[in-house]
Amino acid sequence: MTLLRRAGYWEGTFEAMASPCSVLAEVASAAEARRLLDLARVEALRIEAKFSRYRQDNILHRINSSGGQPIEVDDETAQLLDYAAHCHTLSQGRFDITSGILRRVWRFDGSDRVPSADAVAALLPWIGWDKVTWRRPHITLPAGMEIDLGGIGKEYAVDRCALLLAAETRASLLINFGGDLFSTGARADGHSWRVGLDDPSATGSASAGEIEIRRGAVATSGDARRYLLKDGIRYVHILDPHTGWPVPGAPHSVTVVAGSCLEAGMLATFAMLMGHDAEKFLLDQHVTHHVIR
Amino acid sequence: MQLNDKASIRRALAAATCTLLGSASQTSHAEGSDEKWRVDTSVLYYSEQDRVTVVEPVVFLRKTTGEDSFVNFRLIYDTMSGASANGATPTNKPQTFTSASGTSTYTTPAGKTPLHDFSDQRVAVAVEWDKPVDHLSRAIYGINASTENDYRSIGLSATRLRDFNDKLTTLTLGIAGSYDSVMPIGGAPIPMQLMSAAVPSPAGGEGDEGEGGKTKLVADAIVGITQVLTRRALTQFNYSIGYSSGYLTDPYKVVSVIDATGATLDYRFESRPDIRLRQSLYWKTAYHFDHDVMHFAYRYYWDDWGIHAHTADLHYRMELWKGAYLQPHLRYSTQTAANFYTYSLLNTSPVPTYASADYRLGDLTTTTYGLKLGIPVGRTSELNLRVESITQSGNGYPADAIGIQKNYDLFPTINTTVVQITYTGRF
Repeated sequence: MTLLRRAGYWEGTFEAMASPCSVLAEVASAAEARRLLDLARVEALRIEAKFSRYRQDNILHRINSSGGQPIEVDDETAQLLDYAAHCHTLSQGRFDITSGILRRVWRFDGSDRVPSADAVAALLPWIGWDKVTWRRPHITLPAGMEIDLGGIGKEYAVDRCALLLAAETRASLLINFGGDLFSTGARADGHSWRVGLDDPSATGSASAGEIEIRRGAVATSGDARRYLLKDGIRYVHILDPHTGWPVPGAPHSVTVVAGSCLEAGMLATFAMLMGHDAEKFLLDQHVTHHVIR
Repeated sequence: MQLNDKASIRRALAAATCTLLGSASQTSHAEGSDEKWRVDTSVLYYSEQDRVTVVEPVVFLRKTTGEDSFVNFRLIYDTMSGASANGATPTNKPQTFTSASGTSTYTTPAGKTPLHDFSDQRVAVAVEWDKPVDHLSRAIYGINASTENDYRSIGLSATRLRDFNDKLTTLTLGIAGSYDSVMPIGGAPIPMQLMSAAVPSPAGGEGDEGEGGKTKLVADAIVGITQVLTRRALTQFNYSIGYSSGYLTDPYKVVSVIDATGATLDYRFESRPDIRLRQSLYWKTAYHFDHDVMHFAYRYYWDDWGIHAHTADLHYRMELWKGAYLQPHLRYSTQTAANFYTYSLLNTSPVPTYASADYRLGDLTTTTYGLKLGIPVGRTSELNLRVESITQSGNGYPADAIGIQKNYDLFPTINTTVVQITYTGRF
């Protein structure tokens, strides 16, 4: 965890959810900046610990290792499951928190190791939110299936931290967890926060431009560094849970501006899942967006 | 993805997000207190028709001590009263029985199955620590103790569970041991001694050998494997072995001594081996339908006393509406008698080393029909009611009954009703 004095604000950074996280705060004292940074860090780590699929001591693991037995979940988990269920419906089943097991065959490491059709098809019976019995507060996950809240977790953490910190200070803040960000308002001089956009087609730190935000959130779906290339076909890492295969025609990345990080992230993900129609979908939604193909 | 009202996605997402974050912010202060306690309280009523009645309140507390770590605490208080068969067969005359010390007697009318009145209270406590060892293993350690007027027990247990194969396979290893003391009321009789020859002890309440009680040691081990077969099916296979040594005889049970006409002359106090080796194989499978869940289990049990038992058990959980469920239960069990089980002893035959007329060691068939109804109460609690009817039956008119014994039911069917109400709450 580090805290640096910048021009007119403090920049605190830490690592959580496998991403660099930062909190920019327009406060006067280092002590105040540190207090806010601590709050954000504790909350981010709490959410990571509770919902990480890499841990064996949390509610997610309890659900995923329940062997078909009903598991009772706490309120916060229930809210997230409700949200995931809602997103599943809104995306007509394209966004599905049970599709994570496709990772077992799809490793987007830049190689040409495209899995066999049989290997992909063999996983499909274990995918589908409609196979899960979710009756709050009990979730019954058929044995062998898994859920993964990775598609929501980081955005949720940003929004939660923004809420927590906004209750503590009236100063302008910018919370940025690995490129998913939220600003609580314009800076004291009336200017927006300016955030550089990562260029997904470059491996270095080249910038694809800048986004200015006053109050609101920006989230990006897609990562051009994660792909497979075989026989001239580029397989992007966004998978269709109905087929188990990458969505045809999906852009390299989609960035959306919205009122909260969760909305921005979901709209970006939905757009990726639309493949060729990503831009059309975003235009229909009347949201500020940036698509890289 | 064809969307009719395209812009509605954004609005719907905004509303859902508002719900998620709005409620999350309201509950943010309670994060640290995510369901710390779980409480199960139940009352069980067990009644054998014309025989034993047990009322058993149970309090179970589970405290969450960390992510996925728990301490379980259980307290049981039983009040038992009624009468249990003492092993003697019915006959054409009233029968009077005397305790080993001669301090108490009871009489059974002619033609009735002799029952021994009793009442007792039992308090049992158990504490269990359940926690992850590493990312693939859990350990559960337990300690338990119970006490009754004439019985005390203290035990320890340890279980280790380990996941393999992407968590589709779980291996279970468990060991348990207990040390029990039996302090028979009226003293411990000398096995196979004639009741008429039992010497009354002036002190009363003391055992015939001047001892206050007898002891036994019980050790059990289990090895099991649970396998996820498909996303709907799960199967489990266990082997368990148990070894008991010490005082395994029931001090209140006798065997009738009859003559060639079947008339009862006297009684001998029963005698059982002081070692018992028990083994069982258990197979269980669960199948998850779209909403309902079915559990089927089969157990084969055998021991070195000659008992072989087959048990089949079926539960079907039907999801009703709003979290309520109905669960019918069927169980069928049949066992062969222990080698030394006998209805009675002929006075002209040599006295065997071991003999018991305890119906629980005889050829026995047990059938259970049950129904459980669970209803959610609020968001985090449940109330459930379980009712079961159990029938235990054997051969009441065996071919080898002698003389007037043929006139009586030597193995009366026992009908039992069990009613249990449980409330589960989380705080």
